[in-house]
This record gives sequence, structure tokens and C-alpha cells, in this order.
Amino acid sequence: MKRLIIDWAYFLNRSNSYQKIKRFFYNFLENETYKYKKYFDFFMIMLIFLSVSILIHEVKNNLNDFLLYLNTYIISFIFFIEYILRLWVTSSVTDIIIKNYENDDMLGREFRVYYTFYKIFRVKLKYILSVKAIIDLLAIIPFFHQLRLLRIFVLFRVFKLFRYARSFHMFTSALASKKFEFITLLMFSSIVIFVSSILIYVMEVNSVGSSIKTLFDAFYWSIVTISTVGYGDISPITPAGQFVAIVVIIAGIAVLAFTTSIVVSAFNEKLDETKEMKIINDIAKIKKLYIICGYENIAKEVAKQLIKNHHILVLDEDPERIANAKQDGIIALNYDPGNIDSYKKLRINIDTQVKAILCLRESDVENVYTTLTVRSITKNVYILSLLMNDINKDKLSFAGVNEILYSKEFVGMIAREFTGNPVAFEVIHALRSGYTGIEIEEILLDNRILSSFITVAELNNVKFRLVLLGIYRQEHKRFFFSPLETTILEHGDCLVVIGNSVFIEEFKKYLHKKIRK
Amino acid sequence: MNKVSALIFGCNSSTNEIVKNIQSKYKEIVVFKHKTEPRNLELERSDVEIFDFGDTWEFLEDIYDLKNSIVFCVLEDDAENIFLTISLRATFKELNIIALSKNKESANKLTMAGANKVIPMVQTTAAIISDILEKPIVTEVLHNILYEKSDLKIAQVEIDNEDYFEGKYPADIEWGRKYGVTLLSIINDDMSSEFIYSSRAKHHAIRNGDIFVVVGYERDINEFKQLIGKDI
Repeated sequence: MKRLIIDWAYFLNRSNSYQKIKRFFYNFLENETYKYKKYFDFFMIMLIFLSVSILIHEVKNNLNDFLLYLNTYIISFIFFIEYILRLWVTSSVTDIIIKNYENDDMLGREFRVYYTFYKIFRVKLKYILSVKAIIDLLAIIPFFHQLRLLRIFVLFRVFKLFRYARSFHMFTSALASKKFEFITLLMFSSIVIFVSSILIYVMEVNSVGSSIKTLFDAFYWSIVTISTVGYGDISPITPAGQFVAIVVIIAGIAVLAFTTSIVVSAFNEKLDETKEMKIINDIAKIKKLYIICGYENIAKEVAKQLIKNHHILVLDEDPERIANAKQDGIIALNYDPGNIDSYKKLRINIDTQVKAILCLRESDVENVYTTLTVRSITKNVYILSLLMNDINKDKLSFAGVNEILYSKEFVGMIAREFTGNPVAFEVIHALRSGYTGIEIEEILLDNRILSSFITVAELNNVKFRLVLLGIYRQEHKRFFFSPLETTILEHGDCLVVIGNSVFIEEFKKYLHKKIRK
Repeated sequence: MNKVSALIFGCNSSTNEIVKNIQSKYKEIVVFKHKTEPRNLELERSDVEIFDFGDTWEFLEDIYDLKNSIVFCVLEDDAENIFLTISLRATFKELNIIALSKNKESANKLTMAGANKVIPMVQTTAAIISDILEKPIVTEVLHNILYEKSDLKIAQVEIDNEDYFEGKYPADIEWGRKYGVTLLSIINDDMSSEFIYSSRAKHHAIRNGDIFVVVGYERDINEFKQLIGKDI
């Protein structure tokens, strides 16, 4: 029997299809980042509203059989299935069995089946007794429709909304962070209510004309007064009772003010965290992203350029620089780019979602550190780094930077070109910046384009007033300047064309539209 | 006759790079080090002159051919660099000054102070980074052409043989097939450049004195120069 349980646990644990199914349901029910979860949540919210609407309708009308059947059986059954699935995916029974078996085996003792089942029971019970699971269970109860009283449990379905709406999570977690303050407030209010109830009872109960007849009346009056509602149906008539009322009213104002300030401060404190979570959720959806590490002078300018056409994220450990980035309208997080946790918190796949990581701190030490951090996570992502002092070039290269930029080197090269060919230099500069409307652009030839164009002559770039500077053949990593008209185009070739930006766009459209007959 | 030289004011890592890159073009490169600047070991082997902001600059005229020389102002402090530029411009109206600035704000001030060309470090580096990311192939090709890392060169050619073109327009000539070069721009009288297919350039018959900016292999450019013009 023991052997059977262990074999079964190992079998399920190693079964790809079982794990795949379990992962699927986990994502669907619990994983906030799973893209289809929101549809499931929406569906469940709709069911809840439908169920409550039927309950309201039922108060004054006779329900038809279909609605009754829908509310009593179908919706309840869906909730029941959901409850069972959640119970299944929240913890792994097979993991517990295997872990216990391996522990026992390592210590040379016999596998303790009952202890293992006890542990499984504890884990599952812990979930069953959680507030969310209790609400889920109570929401299923209207299934037992014959007990009319139980129908009121439909209202528990409303509480299920907490599960599906993220803003409710934010609300409860904000309030939960002020647990200590709320307990203090509750203690204070309870003492005031307790003391004032007894005092008012003692003062008023034997007075002629007093509306306080029982201890419950006194307790009711205290609650109504301290909450500053003050219905006026019960009021003290003796001077002593009125004095107690004054004290309770003042205490009530204090309680109200204190409660308001706690709630406001809880939300204020949670605001940054909430915004951060929103940024992380938004980033997780981006397919191609540039991560800029550091937000100093050069990083600022690069961000300004890239944000026009790309998604960028700035990481910097300095809150002031992050505030600057946010002011510049850039998505920024106050995370240390040299810390692995920063990338873990982002919940993104660096290999597939990040186009490049730009180490733009104006310190070689920081850039080397950041590069090594990223390289310890992945070897594949493209890293570009600034170099501030050329003696550190080897260190950056050794750390794993793909492209190193030494700005002073450009100064030298620009100086050389400017002293040699000043006008040509300006022409190239104008082309690169595109401020004259003339741009230099690269166009990748894909299979679709190649199915329409075979040779350079067929491109007909002159018709679009474009200069074909050359073709970059990616396979050979070689640039073919001014290719002959008979040159055959290949997959992966990149045309480098110069011309008016509008004509370049038209040329691109023409390349993609033309289909060889 | 006074010497044609490159005068570099400022003695730092930018100076090292400038010296490295222009030494093939200038026989004499003189570095002026401000008295407060720290030592620069790489340049200590060559002659370095010491200067102060209170110095008068008239003596430079006696030693160098300032009309044909070039001056680089590369002090690390932007304010000092601006002060130096304005001092030199106030003394020499026709001096060709290239200045280095940290950012665009200082670049504007340096232009106002009289620099002919200003290199804003931050903006230049940022532009190169975004070019590398957005147009990697174009950036590589242009860098190879501009900074002479490949056989391809960019050159300015002044037309000296207009009869050769028989009144043709630049856009009508197949430059690549006939001369092995690609014509990019034509320089206007005001030294602004006009793209070969722009409407102004399209209606401009080729004349002597026109300056063409061409890209091509060195041999083709030289042949082109011999055929129709002269280098400038």
C-alpha cells in the first residue's frame, strides 16, 4: 500500500500532462499575470451579479423554472467546481508525499503514511479555513435550495467579488497594513462604549420619563452617540446622564477623526506600492522593451530619443533621479539595477521581452557591476554600456558587454572628420539627425519582398528619388556599396537607402505591396 | 612663414583622443594646459604649454598661421571653456574654433561665444547610442565611412570641368555605374547642402565651382576627381 502511494505520487509528479493541466488551472485561478485570467474573473463577476439579481427578483415575484434551476444548480455547481479546483491547485499533495518519503528514506526509517496524510490534511485545512475559502464555501450553500433560510447565503456570493477585483485587494491590503492602529481604536471605542453604557444605565434607568429601560437600550444609545449618528430616539434626561453624553460625543468625534486619518494614511502609504505594481503589471505585457540602468545626463538624452518609438524602463537606485525620470514622462522604478532581485520583481522574461539593457551610469564601476548582475541572469540579452575611462574597457568587455561606447573616442573621431571633410561631416550629420527631412534608413528584405523582387534593378528606387547607398548582407556581415543592377537580392539583406522620409515610407509600402504575378 | 598647426587648449582624456586622431593631418599639434589642470601622463612626452585665463593671445599670431590653423577648446569645465573661447574670438576674428561642451545649454553659449563648431558630448553620445539601437546597420556603415574604418570614403569634390557633363542635371546621371561613386549632396553658395533629389538640386545644371559630396572607394573617388574636379 505504501509503495503504491509513493509510486502514484512520483508518477503524477513527473507526468507532464498532469503538471500541465494543474499549471493551467493555477494560472487561470490564481496567477494575476496570466493573460486569460481576467476573462475568467469577468465571467465569475457576471455570474455573481446574475445570482444576486435573481435573489432580488425573487423577493416580490415568482421565479420561473429556468431561473430557479440556473441559480440553484448551474451557478452553484460552477462555484463548487471552482472551489474544488482552488483546493487542488493551492498546494501539491504529491510534493508533500515525495518530500516526506525522501526525508524518511534519508534518515533510514520507514515511510510514515499517517503523518504524511496528517500534513496534507493540515495544509488543505489551512486553505479551507482561510477567509476567501470560507466565503467561497458559503457561496455554494444556496445549492441547498430547499432550506429557504440558506438562500440568504446568496449574498455571500457578493463577497466573492473580492476575489476577482484587484482594487478590492488593494483596499483590504491597505487597511490590513494599519491593523495595529485599528485594534487600538477598537479597544478605545469598546472601553468608552462599555463604560458609558453602564454609566448611562445607572444614571437614567430609574429616572421618570427616561427612555432607557434596559442595559441593551443603554448600549444602543452609546453606539449611536459615539458613532456621531445620534438618532435622538433615546436621549438622557438627568444632568449626570447628559454629562456622560457630552463625554461620549467628544470621544465619538475623536474616534471618527482617528478612523479617517488611519484610512487616509493607509492609502497614502500604499499609493506608491500600488503605482509600482501597476507599472510592473504594465511592463509584463510589453513584448519589446529597453531597460536603461541609471538616469544621469547621457541616459536622459537616450531615453528622450528612444521613447519616441519604443517602450523603455528606467531603473535607478537614486530616488531623486527616478523622480526626474517620472517628471520626464518615463516609466521608472526605484530599483537597484545592480541587484538580481530588481529583475526578479519585474516578472519579465529578459531573453524574450528585453531588446537591450543599456548601462548608462557615468561610472565604470557601476556599469561593470550591473553588467555582471544581468549576465548572471542571462547570457543572451544584448548589453550596451558607457565607458568613462578607457583603461576600464577590458573590464567591461570581460564582464560581458556587447557594445562599449567611449564618448571621448567620438570626440577624437569627430575632430578628425571635421578637420578633414567639414562639409561631408555636416552632410552625414544632417542625414543621421534627419532634421532636413532627408533620412538614411535601413530596410530589411523579408520573404514577402523577395517574392516580388529578385534583382537590384527591380527595386526601382530612383522612381522614389532614393539613393541606394548599398546592401548589407547579414549572412556575411558585409556591406556591398552601390551594388550592380544585376545583383540578386537574398533573404536577410538590408537595403541602406537615403531620401526624403515620406518617399522612404512610400518605397517601403511599395516593396511590401508588390506581388509578382 | 608661420606654421599651420592644431592648437588644443585643455589637457585631459579628450585631448588624448583628439591628438591621436588628427596627428596624421597636422604636422604640429600644440597642447596648452591650464595651470590648474591635473597632470596628463599620456601627453607629458610631447610639448605642453602652460596658460592662464589672464594671458593675452596676440603672440599666437607671431608663431602660427592662424587663418589655416585650427583651435580646439576642450577644458572640462564648461564655464572656463566658454571664457577661453570668447577670449580667443575677441582677439582673432577669423580663427577656426572647435569647442567641446557637456550639454546643449553650454553648446549654445559656446556658439554665442564664437565657436565655429561645438560638440555637445552628452547629446552626441546619446544620439550615437540611439542610432546603434534603432538603425544598427546604418550606424555601422556611416561610422565606417566617416571614421575611415573601411575602404569606403566620403569626400568633397569641387567641379572644375563642367563641359564634361554637358549641362546635365545631377539627378539624371547614373553616378554609380559611370563613376563608381554615389553622389549624396550638392553644396549651395551659402555652404548649406542640398540632397541630390531635392527639387532645387534637380533643376541645377552642373557648373564649375559646384561642390559635390560623394561616397565611394578611394580609387574611384580619386579617378572621379581627376576626371572632373579637384579635391578641397
